[in-house]
Amino acid sequence: MRFLAGALAWLESRSGLGAFIKPLMSHHVPRSATWWYVFGSATLMFFVIQVVTGVCLGTMYAPSAAEAWQSLRYIDKEVPAGWMIRALHGWSSNAMVVMMAIHMLQVFLHASYKYPRELNWITGVCLLLVVLALAFTGQVMRWDQDAYWGLGIGASITDRIPVFGSQIRDLLLGGPIIGGETLNRFYALHVFILPGAAIALVGLHMALIMRHGISEMPRPGAPVRPASYKKEYEERMARDGVPFHPDASQRDMIFCGVCLIALVVVAAIYGPFGPGGEPDPTLIDTNPRPDYPFMWLFGAVSLLPPASETFVMLVTPGVIVLALFLVPFLGNAGERAPSRRPVMVLAAAFAVIAIASLTWEGLASRWSPVMNGWSALPTPAQFVRGRTPLEMQGAVVFQFAQCRNCHALGGSGGQRGPALDDVATRFTPEQLTRQVQQGGGNMPAYGKNLSRAQMDAIVGFLSTLTPSYETPAAIPGAMLPLPISSAEPAPR
Amino acid sequence: MTPLFSALSSVIARRWLASVALLVSGVACDRLPGAPSSSSAPPRGSPQWTLATFDTHCRGCHSMADEGASIPLMDRSYWTFASDAHVIDATTNGQGGLMPAFLDENGGPFTADEIAALARGMRTQWGGSVAGSIAATYTAGNAVAGGLVFAQSCGSCHGPTGTAGSLLDPSYLRLVSDQGLWASTLAGRKALGMPAWNEPMPGRPSGLTPGEAADVVSWIASQRPGGRGGAP
Repeated sequence: MRFLAGALAWLESRSGLGAFIKPLMSHHVPRSATWWYVFGSATLMFFVIQVVTGVCLGTMYAPSAAEAWQSLRYIDKEVPAGWMIRALHGWSSNAMVVMMAIHMLQVFLHASYKYPRELNWITGVCLLLVVLALAFTGQVMRWDQDAYWGLGIGASITDRIPVFGSQIRDLLLGGPIIGGETLNRFYALHVFILPGAAIALVGLHMALIMRHGISEMPRPGAPVRPASYKKEYEERMARDGVPFHPDASQRDMIFCGVCLIALVVVAAIYGPFGPGGEPDPTLIDTNPRPDYPFMWLFGAVSLLPPASETFVMLVTPGVIVLALFLVPFLGNAGERAPSRRPVMVLAAAFAVIAIASLTWEGLASRWSPVMNGWSALPTPAQFVRGRTPLEMQGAVVFQFAQCRNCHALGGSGGQRGPALDDVATRFTPEQLTRQVQQGGGNMPAYGKNLSRAQMDAIVGFLSTLTPSYETPAAIPGAMLPLPISSAEPAPR
Repeated sequence: MTPLFSALSSVIARRWLASVALLVSGVACDRLPGAPSSSSAPPRGSPQWTLATFDTHCRGCHSMADEGASIPLMDRSYWTFASDAHVIDATTNGQGGLMPAFLDENGGPFTADEIAALARGMRTQWGGSVAGSIAATYTAGNAVAGGLVFAQSCGSCHGPTGTAGSLLDPSYLRLVSDQGLWASTLAGRKALGMPAWNEPMPGRPSGLTPGEAADVVSWIASQRPGGRGGAP
């Protein structure tokens, strides 16, 4: 026991580790800093999990275009608990982005970025960008169809940058196309450059927290006055503050523990992300989509009118990032309480609602046709019952012409165009003929692809699509065959 | 140790912690719901493969008895007369009309082996054996005699003024090949009210004979505008 104490004393005298850590643990934080202040710590915990699981994966992952996909299958299937490491890494990355957003929202709503903590906010914004870059490069590591097409979209966005676009693209991809070198470049970014930058920024962020202390809970009528703030803050801390450990750290630990348990449960239930199909550019029968942190961007870009694409894709991210950097300089003094800053609260609410609804749009991706709808989704029973032979053939033409890929019947099918369950209540047969022939409203024209008989049949079928269709009563003599030219060849 | 901390640690029993540790430690790992399934794609010809292939490529038109617009294959009636050779030929080359060719050489998604495996798999799934009482491939009969059969039996529902919709609509006849008329006549669509060829129907309590079936299809085909009567 005495030997142990001696050894510790020796270590302390030579390294000064204890003298370094002690003020970190015992420095005073505001008594008012309660459960609102746990989100930054949780973000840091998820980052540590990312580093640990990432190093584990680094020992098994093969960063070469030929072997990456296979090595992920190997980790999933052969390595004991390998899939769990991948699941933790994937879900923890999403959790980190979410926790970071919540932390940022809290800091924004409480105006903790005001004097003297402007640099805390700026390093935080830099961390946000690095973490998003880690998320994007991490998706590339999966090297599956999503990764391949995600990269393709990223590269073609880069390509739109004026003047230097193609050079930047070549630098990122290691050439004009996605090839063997591409994965190596993104691997270097994902495991060396970006984590290095993140660790440095986290260190800076923490050093700034120590330098300026944790901000107090905002109170209406207690504005920040730069001239006297630091002096008053230090006086209040000396008089009324509590030590970080254990008063504040226990809340951090409890919240981090709950987050950790939730992470393990989610990883155990939902498992790792991908890898999806092999990254084969000849397979076009795929529905690639980005990971959750970029789903809102996917939704936004997909809903843009084509003419505005380049401008919005290149200018908007720059404007958003610039606005985030400028936040502490637009008002670094004055009231911090949300109740006294209605415009800022509205801005935050707008951002949250916009990102949430665009994410929802991206997840639903109603603009994507269901590519095998025509061959996989049968005409529902209520739409074949009581139909004439011609109308039944129309339903076959409806499948054959792949209408179903964009139009739903009975709740299944594409959502790019309107559902047609009751189209006959909106369109007369003449209007249906015109719409199918000439298209319009984002629908292609099918006039040249359908014979006259096929058009008759499909319009006949569509004309029966009403909520309670019944076979029309037969009128004697009314359904005699019409004379029709013999120009079209009959099938064999 | 603050009150909050000690209260919490007393709540969490050691045994509970140990079971969580066991869960995480990979001992039970491969039995968790998130573990990737170890089985890869089902082998060709297996029931799972047949169903998955059918659901992706065929079911849009050929579904169950009461749904889908074309002849239902998830129903026994078609399989009573369609031999494997006929199903393979129809899938390989298409069927005139709207049925496309599915062989890769003909622009389709399947190899010849896959088509054969699919035909056998579908029969195992829904078909059973071929009854053999009538040929699956259409051979023209006597159109004049067929006109009488149509007037006596089919026409009561499918005549120019029939309640089930006229079979003689020129657009319909243009879209359906003779073989298509033949298959529809033989299989019927019982769930939608149309009997199979050998089931009771108006004017024929014991159904059609094979000869009558060929005659009536010949007559219907002869009504197709453009002068193409009868034989394919």
